[in-house]
Amino acid sequence: MMNIEEIQSLIPQRYPFLMLDKVVELKEGELIRAYKNVSINEDYFRGHFPNTPIFPGALTAEAMAQAACILLKKSIPDLDATLFYVTNIKIRFFKVIVPGDQLHVMIKTIKMTRIGGLFETQALVNEEIVAKGEMTFACK
Amino acid sequence: MPDTRKDNLEQELREIIAKIVEIEPERITLEANFVEDLGMDSMMALEILAAMEKKYKIQVPEEKLNQLKTLKDAIKLTEDYLK
Repeated sequence: MMNIEEIQSLIPQRYPFLMLDKVVELKEGELIRAYKNVSINEDYFRGHFPNTPIFPGALTAEAMAQAACILLKKSIPDLDATLFYVTNIKIRFFKVIVPGDQLHVMIKTIKMTRIGGLFETQALVNEEIVAKGEMTFACK
Repeated sequence: MPDTRKDNLEQELREIIAKIVEIEPERITLEANFVEDLGMDSMMALEILAAMEKKYKIQVPEEKLNQLKTLKDAIKLTEDYLK
């Protein structure tokens, strides 16, 4: 329901740091679901790790944060924020993510305001939870 | 609000705040200013507000966030919206 052009119109991140490919569901003020396709072509696999490519947990968190930014911007349309800063994050990782996986990010709003928001976050691969937690970010 | 319930509310809120700000609960006196005395920022205040809403099943409007400056304020806001 939201392609890459629309995603880029809402968040400032760009290559090599755009961690979402498609948004498939968005309920303003409530939740968002988005996908990130993990490809062996991505540059960080050269070092993370040599001969054992594993998608970095920090980038799973980044995908979650980017989805939450889109949810915030769509929920508060007149919000003129252009930058987002993570201020708190607590995520538990359950399984590794590897090239070929499709990362399914699900974000639910805990509290959303014009200065930022708190979100419940989950990431799934093949409908199995690979990471979950909470994050807070500020926007300016 | 009866005194016992108010005491419990004070203690519960003190523990919620201590956990979020990661400081000893004893430092959170009724009058200690979240920013000046406890080193809190606006996003921590937002986390406290969200934790209050979850714990007491209340809804506090965003504009009340700038009234949340001390434990005493947190108690008053909770009481106001529990009514």
